[in-house]
Amino acid sequence: MAHISELEASLRPPAMEMPPYPPKVITLASGEEMVVRQVAREEVPTLLEAIYPLLWVERDFYDIVGARLFGELLAYKRYRVKDEYVLAGLIDGVLAGMVNGRLVDGKTGMSYHTLTIRRGLRVGSHLFAAKMEYHIEHCGQEEVLIVAESPIGFRRWMIEYPLEKRFEVQHELGGVPSWVLPKETYYNAKPRLAAGRRPVPDELMKAAETIALPAEETVVRQVAGEKEESE
Amino acid sequence: MKPVYIAGAGMTKFGRAEWSLIRLASEASLAALHHANLGEIPVDGVVVANMGAARVNKQTALGSALVDQLALCPATAEAVENGPASGASAFKVGCQAIASGMADVVLVTGVERMRTVNGLEGTDFVASLSHPEAEYIYGVTLPSLAGMFARLVMDRFGVERKHLAMVAIKNHDNATKNPYAHIQQTVTMEGILTAPEAIVNNPPIAEPLHMFDCCPVSDGAASVVLVSEDVAGNLGGSKVRVAGIGQATDTHAVHDREDPTDLKAVRLASERAFAMAGLAPSDVDVAELHDAFTILEIVESEAAGFFPRGEGHLALERGETALGGALPINPSGGLKAKGHPVGATGVAHLVELTWQLRGEAEGRQIDGAEVGYACNFGGFGNNVVATVLRREAE
Amino acid sequence: MSDRVTGGKCAACGTVNYPRRLVCSNCGGETFESVEIGGQGKVLTYTDVYALAIDYETRYLRLAIVELDDGVRVTGQLLDDDPTLGKRVKTTIGVVREPGEKKILGLQFVPA
Repeated sequence: MAHISELEASLRPPAMEMPPYPPKVITLASGEEMVVRQVAREEVPTLLEAIYPLLWVERDFYDIVGARLFGELLAYKRYRVKDEYVLAGLIDGVLAGMVNGRLVDGKTGMSYHTLTIRRGLRVGSHLFAAKMEYHIEHCGQEEVLIVAESPIGFRRWMIEYPLEKRFEVQHELGGVPSWVLPKETYYNAKPRLAAGRRPVPDELMKAAETIALPAEETVVRQVAGEKEESE
Repeated sequence: MKPVYIAGAGMTKFGRAEWSLIRLASEASLAALHHANLGEIPVDGVVVANMGAARVNKQTALGSALVDQLALCPATAEAVENGPASGASAFKVGCQAIASGMADVVLVTGVERMRTVNGLEGTDFVASLSHPEAEYIYGVTLPSLAGMFARLVMDRFGVERKHLAMVAIKNHDNATKNPYAHIQQTVTMEGILTAPEAIVNNPPIAEPLHMFDCCPVSDGAASVVLVSEDVAGNLGGSKVRVAGIGQATDTHAVHDREDPTDLKAVRLASERAFAMAGLAPSDVDVAELHDAFTILEIVESEAAGFFPRGEGHLALERGETALGGALPINPSGGLKAKGHPVGATGVAHLVELTWQLRGEAEGRQIDGAEVGYACNFGGFGNNVVATVLRREAE
Repeated sequence: MSDRVTGGKCAACGTVNYPRRLVCSNCGGETFESVEIGGQGKVLTYTDVYALAIDYETRYLRLAIVELDDGVRVTGQLLDDDPTLGKRVKTTIGVVREPGEKKILGLQFVPA
């Protein structure tokens, strides 16, 4: 363990005991296998590179999601946010999407963001469910607070699980009214919304050891669609 | 009736459009005009096919807009709306102009730009084709009509979800050979049906139909240049003749259909088209059907006359409708994977058939294709336009 | 807002046109008597639709086409946890759509 100064230590939040996320593999509609695993701090720079092009895409709130996620990942890397986790979905080692959040305390989780890079294969749905699984099944929490920037994307989860209103609680993302996924609702929804097999076969895990980036052109094109016409 | 020929065909890539509605229409039109290589021969008229511009794009009078964009004034111009069959209806109108002798060259362009509105608005807009008092108020959407239809057909004829999946798998595969297709992604039986993860990968939309049974929402435009016999002769080269067009209607409310599993309008429209062409379904070498929902490809293939009633899924299972099969269906990828810009679809069918008959469908060419058939399914089967195209010797 | 769903019974041939028309689909007659649509019948087909349009906040909607005992076919919302093809149902009138502040009434089916 590297030695850190007292001042640095005082600027780091005390860390709760967080179990590692056990990796799983999911067969996607294309027949491809996506490994879902936790992201280590050293891997954050790769994720930042993937997000960076989105910071100027206004459509569908990608700019604010990108900017916030960028900050959250940096904060995770540099120990400036308490008990944050990051999960990534990798197809043949290539980044397909990422999700993050943090543990408020033993009972409550705070979901941050979901970013899908590889479209058309429900990667976002799989990863969102994976983080709910992490909070509730692996960390043993009672409920997860959730909000979103984009109303259309959010409406789907709001209705699908379904989520409950907890508007009296301000979510950390801008203090907006929270929705919540209670444990019981998660378990009821699990058969139709959460999938994946464990353990991950060795060769797939090996392929997922290093996170490879999709081409930048692909990220902007896939995530945000074609460039908008400028009038 | 004077003979009508297709002299040129073009389209934009379907998907999420970079361009405005009229620019999409113009780009496809120019591609078709260049393909036709008219030289000094003037365009007499323009017909635009579109369903939603007034509501989702807040633009009307599209014929007038396009004729100006292409600097074709004072040519005639108008738009035709027939729901999802707008494309083939516009094509029919263009053909009538030439067949009657009123015009020698008509440009027919179908266009749709629906991705500017969100999914809820889009679904509601398409649902507006249903009966306002007897269907729409209940929350009926086009997928719900397809779901109820699918349940009955599956129950009565033994069609299973795996057959629906086969349609999706085939069309997704075909689309990877079509650079204009919206979806360039193959899918597998495991991924969309048999794996435990399939329930998340392929969630229900209108049971028994799931996500991969439904076509995407696409933007795009497709265009053909129709010419008279004289002009076709002057242009030389491949001659694709509009051998037959047939149209038929059925009751507005789906519950009012005589037999709710029978696509009567498809059958009647196809009979009329084949009668005009002097051809039979067995003469067809390649077909483009309206698979807005996978179940429709199966049932249309029967109603059009290619397979006996209730056996379309068996032919599919035997591989007869694959690219290499006896009757390839939807070599373009179908609506399911090529995409479905509503107003453009009917014209896109004919673009694909024209390319196939001219030997220009690179990567997915059906060798020696001479007769092509297309079915454009309006409403939920209450307004169908069927077309038969035939390559003539040069 | 009416709390009845009505069709047009043709004065010439007795066919009930539902939805209403100006011309009878059976005989071409143009005179109709207003009749109430409803009663007992059987489920012809049904679906659970998830891809809902605006105005709905539920996860899915269960719709059905029912063939009433008098031969008239209708579309409506099926309020039954255990639907099957051919199951006996009866009609009721309920709120079927709420665009904004409005409440639209229409046909619903419950087990008979």
